Amino acid sequence: MVSKVDGTDSREVQALQAYLNEYGQQAEVLSRQLDFMERQRMESMAAIDALKALATEKQSVILVPIGGGTTIRAQIIDPDNVLVNIGADVVIKRKNTEAIGFLEDRIKELEALEKKVADSLDQVRGQINEIAKRIDQEYRKAQAG
Amino acid sequence: MFDSLKNRIKTVQEKLSINIQAAALTSPPSLDEGKGKQGKIRLTEKVRTLVRDRELILSEKDIAEPLAELELVLLENDVAFPTTEAIISTLRGELTGKRRRIGSSIDTLVVESLRSALRGVLGSGFDITTYLRTHEKPVKILFTGVNGTGKTTSIAKIAYFLRNKGFSVVIASGDTYRAGAQEQLSTLAQRVETKVIQHQPGADPTAVIFDAVQYANAHHTDVVLADTAGRFHNRANLMNQLEKIKRVIKPDLIIYVDEAVAGNDAVIRAEEFNRLVGTDAIMLTKADMDMKGGAAISIAHTIGKPIAFLGTGQAYEDLKPFSPDVLVGEILGEA
Ligand SMILES: Nc1nc2c(ncn2[C@@H]2O[C@H](COP(=O)(O)OP(=O)(O)OP(=O)(O)O)[C@@H](O)[C@H]2O)c(=O)[nH]1
Ligand SMILES: [Mg+2]
Repeated sequence: MVSKVDGTDSREVQALQAYLNEYGQQAEVLSRQLDFMERQRMESMAAIDALKALATEKQSVILVPIGGGTTIRAQIIDPDNVLVNIGADVVIKRKNTEAIGFLEDRIKELEALEKKVADSLDQVRGQINEIAKRIDQEYRKAQAG
Repeated sequence: MFDSLKNRIKTVQEKLSINIQAAALTSPPSLDEGKGKQGKIRLTEKVRTLVRDRELILSEKDIAEPLAELELVLLENDVAFPTTEAIISTLRGELTGKRRRIGSSIDTLVVESLRSALRGVLGSGFDITTYLRTHEKPVKILFTGVNGTGKTTSIAKIAYFLRNKGFSVVIASGDTYRAGAQEQLSTLAQRVETKVIQHQPGADPTAVIFDAVQYANAHHTDVVLADTAGRFHNRANLMNQLEKIKRVIKPDLIIYVDEAVAGNDAVIRAEEFNRLVGTDAIMLTKADMDMKGGAAISIAHTIGKPIAFLGTGQAYEDLKPFSPDVLVGEILGEA
């Protein structure tokens, strides 16, 4: 037997559900992207702090994690020359201050991109709310009628 | 698209113009007023007129600095190293060594040289409609690529695009592995009003695609678009599965799908897929989210296969047949 909810409007509800799922997936992809960029940006900021600290403190000893939860004490022998992966997996030697400048530019770029993705995410979330509202309405109609 | 790359190329372009003007001013011995530095300062229309119609040979030194900067700009935007080298060396070749008349505009010289250098690595593109018109039907197209890059979405987009061009299409739901994949595809296909062939979850994808080809034969359908899983136990198993599909179905085209935003990673993956299962053309998705353009510029050059489509959004209309000229125009800020 066909219930009221599965009756005249059930196809409409199903279509709405499908859209809801899809937008849900899109929102998930976007927020994952956002998280990833946020993490990258934080990492760049941490690296800037480290570079600044090392520049003023010649011959410092730091702890280097070497995996498996183990750490080793190491001495920085050349804090002014930094190896930077500039992109395309190409690593270039830069002066400390240049490396900081590069990271600062990267942070600016990430901020711009994050804004773009956050805007898309807002849009998708808005659509999700719209659809949820409409599904709700359909159910109410079915129950009332 | 490509905002970050675009702005920085513009800067290099300006520096190249300035250097060439300076070189043009210092080169003719009859003119003594323009010594290097002065040329740089007097960047006015007057200078441009002076330079016009003068013949000169640019040396590598004249443009070394802006070229070095361009190299960094390209690398920082994830253009693969060999591709970057190719662009730089074409540009250097275009600009130096030849005795040339500068003509009316140095800017034009710079832009056109950049254009041909970029154009050189982008290949010819791939016109799918011409391909379809000149090949026996049904044309079987297999889509490959890792998970989440946009294969399934792109198949719906391409179905929509081809139907608008007057081709009939059937889609094979060859991702029987990921939960929800078949449902996703049938929803998308319904929206673009395209027939889908599906089996049970976990079924053999080769059998699904085989059925779709049978269907196409029986109904004189022009094109079979075959979706595949992006993840399958592990990468080696995925490759084996694709290998089997390829052996049994003998696709006419294999389109490798990856996302432009993945940059150099996309290029590396594309090489792996090309080596292990083969690729005839590439679809790059999420170009709308890509600030850098590295993958779009390097992928064709690196694996030696043309880009067929760009995906430019989440909706099924968001598909652009790839045109190298349009892309270069975009990068040079003309579009
Ligand atoms: N912005 C944008 N998003 C896209 C584009 N193409 C696909 N997407 C999104 O990317 C996400 C993944 O797309 P799918 O088509 O499911 O990817 P897939 O390759 O089939 O993934 P698997 O089935 O897991 O292998 C979805 O949220 C799509 O909406 C595009 O051109 N631009
Ligand atoms: Mg899929």
